[in-house]
Amino acid sequence: MATHALAPGTQTYSRGTLYEWLTTTDHKKIGIMYVINSFLFFLIGGVLALVVRTELATPGLQLLTDEHLYNEMFTMHATVMIFLFVIPILAGLGNYAVPLQIGAPDMAFPRINALSLWMLPLGGILLLSSFVTGGAAAAGWTSYPPLSAEGPLNSPGAGQDLWIVSIVLIGTSSILGAINFLVTIFKMRAPGMTLFRMPIMVWTVLVTSVLVLMATPVITSALVMLFIDRNYGGHFFDPAAGGSAVLYQNIFWFYSHPAVYVMVLPAMGVISEVLPVFSRKPLFGYKAFVFATAGIGALGFSVWAHHMFTTGAVFLPFFSLLTFMIAVPTGVKMFNWVFTMFRGQLTFSTPLIFAIGFLTMFLIGGINGAFSASVPVDFALHDTYWVVAHLHYVLFGGSVFGVFAGIYYWFPKMSGRMLDEGLGKLQFVLMFVGFNLTFFPMHMLGVQGMPRRIADYAGDAGWNDWNLAATIGGFMIAASMLPFIWNVFVSLRNGKVAGDDPWEANTLEWATSSPPPPYNFDHLPEIRSERPLFDARHGRVGH
Amino acid sequence: MSSTPRKRPAPDALVAGAVVAILIALVAAVFLTGWGSTLYPPDAATSQGREVRGLYDIVFAFAVAIFVVVEGLIVWSVLRYRRKPTDEELPVQTHGNNLVEIIWTVIPTGIVLFLFVISWQTLNTVDAVSAQPDIRVHAIAGQFAWQFEYLDENGNKVATQLAPVYDTDTSLGGMAVPVGRSIQVTLDSPDVIHAFYVPRFLFKRDVVPGQTNRFEFTIDEDEVGQVFRGQCAELCGTGHRAMLFNVIALSPADYDAWLRALIEANNATPAPLPSGPVLNVAAKNISYDQATLSVPADAAFGITFDNQDPPGVLHDIDIRDGSGRVVADQQTIDGGTKTNYAYDPLAAGSYTFFCSIHANMTGTLTAE
Amino acid sequence: MTADSHALTTTDEHNPIAGLAHDQRGGLSNVILGMILFITSEVMFFAGLFAAYFSTRAANRPWPPEEFDHILNPFSIILVATAILIASSVTCQMAIWSIRKNDRRGFLRNIGVTFVLGVIFLILQAYDYSILFEEGMTMGSGPFGTTYFTLTGFHGAHVFGGVIMLGVVLYRGMSGQFSARHHDAVEAASLYWHFVDVVWILLFSILYFL
Repeated sequence: MATHALAPGTQTYSRGTLYEWLTTTDHKKIGIMYVINSFLFFLIGGVLALVVRTELATPGLQLLTDEHLYNEMFTMHATVMIFLFVIPILAGLGNYAVPLQIGAPDMAFPRINALSLWMLPLGGILLLSSFVTGGAAAAGWTSYPPLSAEGPLNSPGAGQDLWIVSIVLIGTSSILGAINFLVTIFKMRAPGMTLFRMPIMVWTVLVTSVLVLMATPVITSALVMLFIDRNYGGHFFDPAAGGSAVLYQNIFWFYSHPAVYVMVLPAMGVISEVLPVFSRKPLFGYKAFVFATAGIGALGFSVWAHHMFTTGAVFLPFFSLLTFMIAVPTGVKMFNWVFTMFRGQLTFSTPLIFAIGFLTMFLIGGINGAFSASVPVDFALHDTYWVVAHLHYVLFGGSVFGVFAGIYYWFPKMSGRMLDEGLGKLQFVLMFVGFNLTFFPMHMLGVQGMPRRIADYAGDAGWNDWNLAATIGGFMIAASMLPFIWNVFVSLRNGKVAGDDPWEANTLEWATSSPPPPYNFDHLPEIRSERPLFDARHGRVGH
Repeated sequence: MSSTPRKRPAPDALVAGAVVAILIALVAAVFLTGWGSTLYPPDAATSQGREVRGLYDIVFAFAVAIFVVVEGLIVWSVLRYRRKPTDEELPVQTHGNNLVEIIWTVIPTGIVLFLFVISWQTLNTVDAVSAQPDIRVHAIAGQFAWQFEYLDENGNKVATQLAPVYDTDTSLGGMAVPVGRSIQVTLDSPDVIHAFYVPRFLFKRDVVPGQTNRFEFTIDEDEVGQVFRGQCAELCGTGHRAMLFNVIALSPADYDAWLRALIEANNATPAPLPSGPVLNVAAKNISYDQATLSVPADAAFGITFDNQDPPGVLHDIDIRDGSGRVVADQQTIDGGTKTNYAYDPLAAGSYTFFCSIHANMTGTLTAE
Repeated sequence: MTADSHALTTTDEHNPIAGLAHDQRGGLSNVILGMILFITSEVMFFAGLFAAYFSTRAANRPWPPEEFDHILNPFSIILVATAILIASSVTCQMAIWSIRKNDRRGFLRNIGVTFVLGVIFLILQAYDYSILFEEGMTMGSGPFGTTYFTLTGFHGAHVFGGVIMLGVVLYRGMSGQFSARHHDAVEAASLYWHFVDVVWILLFSILYFL
């Protein structure tokens, strides 16, 4: 974090000492630290994924001869990726962007904001410490009881308890963050920034925060009950004593399905910022997009049991219908994005390329999800690698590509320097090819009957080639991180100076210096539309 | 201020159009050459599975069509509308168009409603269970082995199959059922959640402790003699991936003979123990009561084995030598039962005795 | 604000930077809105526990099990505790009315009484637990014991949190930090206290009467 002179005129604020960073309540520094912290956990989760993929490359147990260790690996991979990477990195981008985009000086509760941030590494360290205290949780990130209960064949030891405590901690961080976002968005918008002039990024963070606020406490309750069952002799989920195993699944998915939207809506917000800027057109159908976002949020609470079609304890038609219906607002968004580019003037900078990657991958992730909405088809596909393909097309092809679009888009604002375009495109190509090589074959594995979460498979089942391809792809994804990390290090020192508004963007964060002053704005342009900077640049008054 | 779009040079549109055409051709080629067949489930072996497969094909057709249309639009927009150095003026600032927005809300809604209705119809066939099925099987999934109880029409147990996997050498093991008959399976678990999954049935159903699930299937007549792979599909612990089973399709006559043989085997008096030393071993709470055993070298011996775990929890006592080669492979027994195992003479040395179901159950056996 | 900040003041509305401390557009203050949202999340937390309670109850007959039927007598110490908690909500509201009229002494008196009533509730609940333990009812006493102690226990933990909040408000009030114009923290703490009270009334009715 060394302070050094930057180009004349643009940079007048020091980057701050390490002490300032660790004690800051500035939403911009907190947002950046969210991103850095999450990225470190992304690397850890990635290594765990590589261990899993290496084990599965060929039939037989090679790397992890103890299958329990294999179960620990994929459990921790999913837990780290979901709770310590995707959710917080999007919260981090939101933390950085939202106050700037609505013309506010900071978040509503800056100290609670810092608390939310620092709970994350604490939770992460607790979670990972289970590896050295007798074994990590190994019951899958879903941790269904009775497997996650006490018992010699279930989940003995402290790993599962540490898992519960850290998820509750991270969840609390999310809830506090959501309250902070909501109060900030409702109370601290600049004059003229009406709700329907807010950037889509702000809208998606708003809906996401509502989902977090309503859903995260519910998983906290499920985890608390699980903890009581494990440690204080409770019987919530113990069928032998009158409890119910499926009860946990209902409560868990009541959170975890909305959580899927928590993991993808802000990434959709990023895409909705990037596409108009690099197409030189407004977002097509702004209001429809807002309503679609809200619709996804509302429907998101009524589809949870589609994760439980095969339990035999679900009213199937209701959840099937709503699951199909949630495809409609998602489809509306897809068309809005495509028609934003349609008849535009596209500049293929790295953020746009990642955004297009998002569109193509998320399209597949949406389509292959519809298969599972059809209950009989889900009977065939549930808990196979098809589901693994689906969720990665949504959460990696969607969210992670969106995250990188956001990082390339806002890095100049955060640092005052541009990231290198060549390295960015190299990263994209490696990631895009590696991603599809890893996850597309999982469709084939799934329909041919390979279940998830198995450490080994028969060599004559016909799954060898696709598994090997997926493993090679996994290492390609890992390789794609190298140009990115190099890019960040080089560009922080020698990158092209960004200036206030390198992309000719639309929203308020580009109306201040790069990086912005601690109080964010000296001036605000007039806000008469959702594109105040565009209006100012082209001398327009609203629309 | 807004400008009308200038006429773009033709090559852009040509290139974009060509790429879209190539994309469509590629998708078509993938399916025409049979590469696309890897995206379809295997041929269904049951009448219920065929329904699912028919539904899958319809959903898949929609999926490919939607993919081609939207991906084509994306590719077209990306290639056709790149910014030229000469593009100084802004493109038309279109904020939206109510008509197209209504169209792309209504059409997807229609598609998903159609898919929902046909899914629901198929579900009613696939999920139907009859009051009087031809065959009743009670499948019990415990960590980490299946067992299949064959029931009569009143639901009383007539035989138990404790070996879930078909052995090609002995032709023993597996869940045999007759083709062309309705088979009703009830599912119970004494411990955690498992799932009964046979890929060629295109079907799975969770085995939930404290809840009896039920489903039916009828295997097609032309599948006689087939041995289908089955596997637990819900993570159930360390031995999850080894929780395999087979479903064997027999002609009704062969099935009757098979069941008679199973009943006989169930009722057979256990083989008398060899005239050597006899050890007593018990298993409880997924562990043996002894960590070390010792037997005389080069002499047959026996073990009286008492499985004190609850029903549904299977154990046995197999032996492997120092190199990991299994030298004695015994049949598992259910919780709450006893048996006598006879072992062939072992050369002097140190061996490991273990449970073939639970990897954590091991001990040292010394022959001296 | 400098003279060239005209863009910030082009409308008659307030200056957004000043908005950090006080919202002049009317409506709720940041602190109170934050507390309402926090309570929303708490409602969802208890909704999860209640859902588990009803699900468990529906699957277990008779409810309560016969061995514990006589223990759940609403006309016992638990009724006293209920009355005390409801009374504390009233005194809490009286404290709000006092501070809104700038009556600092009345405010301190009422908030002090509320604080003490909260502590008494906790003591009574602990006493009630000790009776139950003597009767042999624990967390492990089947689904009934598990749900009973989890629900009441988490409510008790929230009362404890509320008592701490009241303690902070009391301390800050004694050092004169609140006035009729500036008492958002008091309003927020009272909202929370009312919420805890409402949860108890629900719990009490469901556990003892339903």
